[in-house]
Amino acid sequence: MLLAYKLALASPRVTARGIEASEFAVDADRHGVQAVPAIVVDDRYAWAGAVPEAVFVERVLAAAAG
Amino acid sequence: MTLGEREQDAIRAVLDGLEREVDVKLELGPTATPVTLLAAGGREIDSNAVARDIVEAVCALSDRVSLSIIEHDEPGPWPRTTIGTGLEYLGMPAGYELTTLVHGILEAGRAAPGLGDASLERLAAIDQDVAIDVYVTPT
Repeated sequence: MLLAYKLALASPRVTARGIEASEFAVDADRHGVQAVPAIVVDDRYAWAGAVPEAVFVERVLAAAAG
Repeated sequence: MTLGEREQDAIRAVLDGLEREVDVKLELGPTATPVTLLAAGGREIDSNAVARDIVEAVCALSDRVSLSIIEHDEPGPWPRTTIGTGLEYLGMPAGYELTTLVHGILEAGRAAPGLGDASLERLAAIDQDVAIDVYVTPT
């Protein structure tokens, strides 16, 4: 979660939001979340699991471009 | 008290690292909307009240953090905590996610982004808006 926040603080183009999955279960289901942390980029499920900073950045950029 | 003395001491130590002031906004919904949380053993919890207790307790531990609370009459994505101008958290920042709240405030209060140079270079090249949602659980 903190990496997403750091990206948002580093770029005015990026926004970051944490969502408690069980409180917002409808949204989590809509995005196909089955494990946490689950990362959704531009309203599309991207991946689940913690990754190093460099990998996180590349995956977010790839998901946004895709 | 929402936070024990050891938790308060630990959070106070983290927030001592703030390099600038941080505004935190907590938005709450109608009070009669308890949620049932599997993470809490299937108990019904008033998420607004829990979020309010936690966020108020954390923000009170640093004079560089100011808190505003907005109470909405209509159902919606509440409770919602906004840290600074762009960091949001939907739900109760309880359990492990207490760390997200505290360190989110710390990151927002840094003078410079807490990322490596390579990451900053990649982010500088972004030419479109990107919205990241991270689903988490409090345990």
